[in-house]
Amino acid sequence: MHLTRKLLDLAGIGKDRLHVAWVSSAEAQRFAEVVTQTTESIQQQGKLDAEALSMPLQACEMTVNDETVRWLVGKEVKITSKGDVYGRPWDIESYERVMFKELEREFQKNMIYLAIKDGFTSVRDISQKIQVDLLRVSYLLADLERTNKVEFTGMKDRKPVFAAL
Amino acid sequence: MTDFEPKIVAFLCNWCAYAGADLAGVSRLQYPPNIRAVRVMCSGRVDPVFVVKALREGCDGVLVSG
Repeated sequence: MHLTRKLLDLAGIGKDRLHVAWVSSAEAQRFAEVVTQTTESIQQQGKLDAEALSMPLQACEMTVNDETVRWLVGKEVKITSKGDVYGRPWDIESYERVMFKELEREFQKNMIYLAIKDGFTSVRDISQKIQVDLLRVSYLLADLERTNKVEFTGMKDRKPVFAAL
Repeated sequence: MTDFEPKIVAFLCNWCAYAGADLAGVSRLQYPPNIRAVRVMCSGRVDPVFVVKALREGCDGVLVSG
């Protein structure tokens, strides 16, 4: 859930759209408080424009479904308490850093993929569309190519053109 | 903005928050009617996919409570 909130922040939706609270069965008063606070907070943030945010939202969904991200989350307790398969110990901070980097990377890759599908086919167009710098976009494109998600289809007006598979 | 009634999907654990919500109802506590409760058997059951899906389908916020 901590990672999901980070992802929502990355996507420009804002982590405060997701509230997490612990309420026991005997705490009716606390439940009422939590619901009131949540409602107030969402009210202040205003309506979520799902139409305008449809691309980042779709990228979010692809990211939370991503195999690598899910493995990282699933293995967190094991690796930070017993170490990885090479016997190296990991502290929680550095593990979370790795997780967050991977999350960001997957999210950006999915954004690129969706941008290509939307007809932004050159590196420059993609970079402008998703607000990620050119170099990073080309790195991630190479990665997407390697995993057979996008394809280099040729040059047009001296610009490389990519297609989503 | 004061008239804005947000739609909030609340995932409530059957044993904790759902029972808490039930008790809030029984003891007639007032709380905002904006939440749409979804009962789950454990808040660990809630997958991030549910959260994103809820936001995609047009709700304004999500509450996970257990």
